[in-house]
Amino acid sequence: MLAPQGPEAQRIFGLFWLLTMGAAAIVTLIVALLWAALSGSRLWRWLAGETFVIAGGIVLPVTVLTVLLLLGFLLTRANSIAPADAKLDVSILGEQWWWRIGYVMAEGKRLETANELYIPVGVPVALELTSADVIHSFWVPKLAGKLDMIPGRKTLLHLQASSPGVSRGQCAEYCGGPHALMSIYVVALEQPAFKAWLLSQTAPALPPSNPTERRGRELFLAAGCAGCHTIRGIGAGGTIGPDLTHVASRRSLAAATLPNDASSFARWIVDNQHIKPENRMPPFRQFAKGELTALSAYLASLK
Amino acid sequence: MIVIRKRSWLRIAVWILIAVLGAGVAAALLIWSGVYNVAASRGHFALTAKILEVAMRQSVKTHSWHLRVPPLNDVHMIRLGASHYQGGCAPCHGAPGDPKNPIVRHMLPQPTHLPSAVYTWSAEELFWIVKNGVKYTGMPAWVASGRDDEVWAVVAFLRRLPTTDATEYRSLALGNADQDTRMAREIIDFGTDAAAISACARCHDGETASPQSRLVPKLAAQSPDYLKIALKDYAAGQRQSGIMQPVAAELDEQELEQLSSYYAGLTRRSASRRNDASPEIERGHALATAGTPKAGVPPCLACHGEKSLPSYPRLAGQYQEYLIQQLLLFKAGLRNQTAQGAIMTTIARRLTSRDIKDAAKFFEQLTPGPAEASIGREP
Repeated sequence: MLAPQGPEAQRIFGLFWLLTMGAAAIVTLIVALLWAALSGSRLWRWLAGETFVIAGGIVLPVTVLTVLLLLGFLLTRANSIAPADAKLDVSILGEQWWWRIGYVMAEGKRLETANELYIPVGVPVALELTSADVIHSFWVPKLAGKLDMIPGRKTLLHLQASSPGVSRGQCAEYCGGPHALMSIYVVALEQPAFKAWLLSQTAPALPPSNPTERRGRELFLAAGCAGCHTIRGIGAGGTIGPDLTHVASRRSLAAATLPNDASSFARWIVDNQHIKPENRMPPFRQFAKGELTALSAYLASLK
Repeated sequence: MIVIRKRSWLRIAVWILIAVLGAGVAAALLIWSGVYNVAASRGHFALTAKILEVAMRQSVKTHSWHLRVPPLNDVHMIRLGASHYQGGCAPCHGAPGDPKNPIVRHMLPQPTHLPSAVYTWSAEELFWIVKNGVKYTGMPAWVASGRDDEVWAVVAFLRRLPTTDATEYRSLALGNADQDTRMAREIIDFGTDAAAISACARCHDGETASPQSRLVPKLAAQSPDYLKIALKDYAAGQRQSGIMQPVAAELDEQELEQLSSYYAGLTRRSASRRNDASPEIERGHALATAGTPKAGVPPCLACHGEKSLPSYPRLAGQYQEYLIQQLLLFKAGLRNQTAQGAIMTTIARRLTSRDIKDAAKFFEQLTPGPAEASIGREP
């Protein structure tokens, strides 16, 4: 929040300093008055007078709070009205405990990814937020304020990144046990790099490059993974869990819970209920060691 | 006066203490000396026998009064109960046309001859006894404490026992096991042990016939890996069943291999009931091929399809009654200890009771083969 990376965050940053400075000024004033009253100078008579009590105790707070309220309204309005030139529509669905991210592409197509929001620098982005289960809250402090994700209701958040970089976000509304493990990365890229990223994500999954990975792909299909997960291009079309077509290209696994490497995949497959208790995926403990290695190697190859 | 009274109370208390201690010492001496005869051949005094009998009857009555009896006139429960009775109960309690073995008649207490005495107990009482066993009598408790469904199947059969003659008994209890054509050589090598606990065909598939009770799974053409895993899980007590655990525990590694490949090699017989048009089957079909993503239910065929891992069971053509019972066990958390069970438990908990019935119905009429592979793929 103290390092704003976009116009929305910049406005909140301004309000933050106004509030902090204002609060500091008021505290200073109170301390001075207290000192005056305690020091026994003749000032205290005037301080205890009716005029001062009305002015300092009623008029001042009403004025200050009204101004702040109006400022708050203005800022919320500025941050929630779609900039006329919003160029990218993204939907984010909060689920226990991850983020399902959908890009609306040309010709009504949709690209689905998870737990990582890529945006182009300098382009206003309209985020349509909602939830599949309980109330979550989308909060990326470097880019914008919090906004709740409410089941059965869509809320709109706008943000724009002013420079390339990675901002970490966090679900900011308690949503059950592993709420703290529901984080997100927002990656801002220069426009050409963003276009290249989008193109790479729309491509089908990379084919396995060695026998181990090939065995991993077979296991993925035979062990039922495709019942919940999509990997485009291999005939896996499940929609319950995150799309894994390019899972290895992400910065982390399980909503910024684990590093993205083969050993984390293996740990997650076997032991996900300890890593993120009560998440919707069953533990798959039946794989022999070689099988688990193959499956993890395949997933880790899906750049 | 007061002083004297106090003293007389004290004196009485001391005498009581001495009497109690004396009795304790006498009892200890009696036990230590070994004079008391524990011989089963001697029997109890008539009074002791009477007290034990009354205590047991009253205890069973009191402990079983709260039980609710499910419908017991289901022929599939009766058949399953009868087949288990033949291996698990008949050796001690006798069966129609099969008097008790002389060894058993020398036990104390002598196991009740059930065909003639079972009518003296109510269904609740029988359930309680079969499930919990009876202290000091040699009657064991049910092996799997969570499997009330199996215990009720035994009770269902016990209720029929008094009116079952020897012929009917054999047809109920022996199932697909053909025990009449054994050759002398087999009897010489393996004994006449018709009551062997581990005669698979009493409950399961015969060479050409499906199980006679629809609560018992068809094993023909099941994957050998799955069969082996199931038997090992039963033997290790990780999969609960008062019927299968004792059977599986008897098998050694080689027998396990042989049995698994025997059943895997039998020809799969397709469904006995066919009704393609019913709306339940339509729903079951949708569940099997597309699941209910909103409820977190993946398509059944994602794991139970033709090309799935051999450690997952094939379901096409399986009896719906068995499938429903197993799904209920998963849902109740009774099958979550094994690797495969933990997966299915997660999913079964998301199924409604309608889902369970419809999916079971769908799988029973599904023809094994390519139809098993038709799961919803990406568009």
